[in-house]
Amino acid sequence: MKFLNLFLSAVCALLALSSPRLLPAQGVDEQMLLHPPADSWPEYHGDYSGRRHSKLSQITPQNVKNLTLAWAFQTDQPAAIKSSPLLVDGILYFTVPDNIWAVDARSGHQIWHYNAPTTQGDHIGHRGVAMYKGYLFFLTPDAYLVSLNAKDGTVRWKVQVADVTQGYWTTMAPLVVKNHVLAGVSGDLDNITGYIRSIDPETGATQWQWNTTPPAGTPNQATGGMTWMTGTYDPDLNLVYWGTGNPTPVLTGSTRPGDNLYTGTIVALNPDTGKLVWFFQVSPHDTHDWDAVEIPVLVDATFHGEPKKMLMQASRNGYFFVLDRTNGKNLLTVPYGPVNWSLGVDKQGHPIPNPAKEPAPDGRLIAPDEGGLTNFRSPSFDTKNGLFIVDAHPSWSIYFAKPADGAYGWAGADYDVWGKGVIEAIDYQTGKIRWSHELGPEGSGAGVLTTDSGLTFTGDALGNFLALDSSNGKTLWHAGSGSHILSSPITYQLDDRQFVLTSSGGVMFAFALPETQ
Amino acid sequence: MNILRSTLQRTALLVLSSLLSLGHSAAQTQTPTPKAQAEVGVKQDVAPMPKSYPPDLVQKGKALFRQDCSFCHGRDATGGESGPDLTRSKLVTADVDGNNIGPVVRNGRPDKGMPRFDRSDDQIASLVAFIHTQQNNALTKKGGRKGVDVSDLQTGNVEAGKQFFNGAGGCATCHSPTGDLSGIASRHQGLELEERMLYPKHAKSRVTVTLSSGQMIAGTLEYLDEFTVGLVDSSGSYRSWRTRDVRYKVEAPENAHVELFSKYTDDDVHNLMAYLQTLR
Repeated sequence: MKFLNLFLSAVCALLALSSPRLLPAQGVDEQMLLHPPADSWPEYHGDYSGRRHSKLSQITPQNVKNLTLAWAFQTDQPAAIKSSPLLVDGILYFTVPDNIWAVDARSGHQIWHYNAPTTQGDHIGHRGVAMYKGYLFFLTPDAYLVSLNAKDGTVRWKVQVADVTQGYWTTMAPLVVKNHVLAGVSGDLDNITGYIRSIDPETGATQWQWNTTPPAGTPNQATGGMTWMTGTYDPDLNLVYWGTGNPTPVLTGSTRPGDNLYTGTIVALNPDTGKLVWFFQVSPHDTHDWDAVEIPVLVDATFHGEPKKMLMQASRNGYFFVLDRTNGKNLLTVPYGPVNWSLGVDKQGHPIPNPAKEPAPDGRLIAPDEGGLTNFRSPSFDTKNGLFIVDAHPSWSIYFAKPADGAYGWAGADYDVWGKGVIEAIDYQTGKIRWSHELGPEGSGAGVLTTDSGLTFTGDALGNFLALDSSNGKTLWHAGSGSHILSSPITYQLDDRQFVLTSSGGVMFAFALPETQ
Repeated sequence: MNILRSTLQRTALLVLSSLLSLGHSAAQTQTPTPKAQAEVGVKQDVAPMPKSYPPDLVQKGKALFRQDCSFCHGRDATGGESGPDLTRSKLVTADVDGNNIGPVVRNGRPDKGMPRFDRSDDQIASLVAFIHTQQNNALTKKGGRKGVDVSDLQTGNVEAGKQFFNGAGGCATCHSPTGDLSGIASRHQGLELEERMLYPKHAKSRVTVTLSSGQMIAGTLEYLDEFTVGLVDSSGSYRSWRTRDVRYKVEAPENAHVELFSKYTDDDVHNLMAYLQTLR
């Protein structure tokens, strides 16, 4: 009996790993989001942890040199793909502003294309869709949430998430937690409040809204704190983790004394109520546009000998943070590249901004630059080597602000001076950089994916896709892509074949090992 | 990197590629000099009247600008996240009916991170109308406005800057006030001069490649990643090799500027700027 149970478990495990799935198309359910099968990538990060780490191991450090093009999909339009694809029931969904493509994950064949041009709102980029049951959720430049039927791209409903005429727009991939679609907003050009809104996936009704700052016009208070990147979720603690953006006005702090909560902050919210459970501000009183929206990566491991539920962020302001995600207490704060804007770190682990490094009429030399030491591109946590691997951007810039610039929107000017790209593998217990891999001048927009077999997939500043050895950063495979890489790779296994998907420019590339006869 | 030499190399590039020339000339001239401002702005009564555009065309351009351009250039075209202030752009000032702006929009500026936008003639015309209108508005606006003026960059001490130049900064190792930097402040002013001082973005590195045969080929470094090294040789031809097949040595004296970033105080930067501005 015991043996039979074992045997059955083994069969089930095999079935879970093999494909195609035996069941007909089901869409996304809670179990899939909690335990994504190998033939899926059902949310932005692949799973709720934000680790962008896959257990797949068909492609190994030994055979990756044989990696070859399985297919490429041309969007035939100029906007660069900045989205992370979803994969559900063998179909990929990826986006640019106003556009969604549904594409066969085996062949790259287009199944449908949703193209709904909008004339309002910023078209700066788009990060992708979310899925619940058979429904997709897509945010538009004019700040609507559109729900579509995944099978044919027809629109179910459309609800306004924010008022584009006030200066909001939306770009992010929503996060589905239970029966909540969590949507964030963008808008740095006006003094408006950031928020996260929870929306009913069936009806489009608002369930709750959490605001980053007091309402615009509150004396001596910041606005801003946009919520433009997808958060992560711990189902055991029932907490959603989200990073908030910089305060507005952006480059002057004169009208907003103090820390400017909850801008530049990692917040833990109850997804059912929107109630703030804890927060940790990574950029108090920011005056350099350093959003703290970079992925809050959830890791369960030991920290100096003690088992911990951690949250890690390589933040745009140049610091790497490790928090206890049960309560928001800081475990580690350490810079992971050149940082010159702080007076150090306080006892609670917050960087202390140096007032002398606020933008000034005659300029201040600042590291990192406005794009930050990293940005929206995903890092990856390599569970095997205990490494937090991030596409970093050591950089310098000059920041200006003067009274004539006012205190609305940007309120100053800043200019990049110099920068480069480098993959850094950070030891999460010390912040020490275990290995690094140079990516070239200016920097790369590519995110990072790691696999259990010991591979790190990313891209360099010149448009090469790279596969690195996760243990030492050595290059094992590369392919020139012909454009800038501005998204984070994903991987999945279909028909016993592992694919690695990564975009460059307006093209989606699928790589795999050669098919055996 | 010798700034004079980099200028000469740029001149060569101008001949090579009209697209690049547009990119480079514009990149150097984001901020009009005081002279240009005086001509277009303060002395407006003697300068030609700025062209005006039909309001509906400007409105169309405004909507399109908001959609595609505002994230980087600011919603009012006065600069924002990563993009320059277009109301102070020489390229815009010199533009006639989109002859400068159109190609930049359609080709992008890959070297500056600006994407290209496929836009119809009508759409370009509306963008041009909006950008010029914003520039006209900015230049006629009374009082201060956003951007970095030459007068903002006068807080340094000339003598301290000279000492830094000859001493701690190590600038004199490569540069000379009577040589390559002679008259530099006449050629470049304000923010443009300061940006060049901090890091000469368009400086080209030299590279010498040694083939397995022992033959050595020198040229201007055109491309380098982990896998390929490419140069333009003395005949103007592009040649490349797999990095694994050759040895190569890059001479990039401009990297000395990178070494300085972590050593500078803000006072050092302002003082050095004050000193350079005396080299007229």
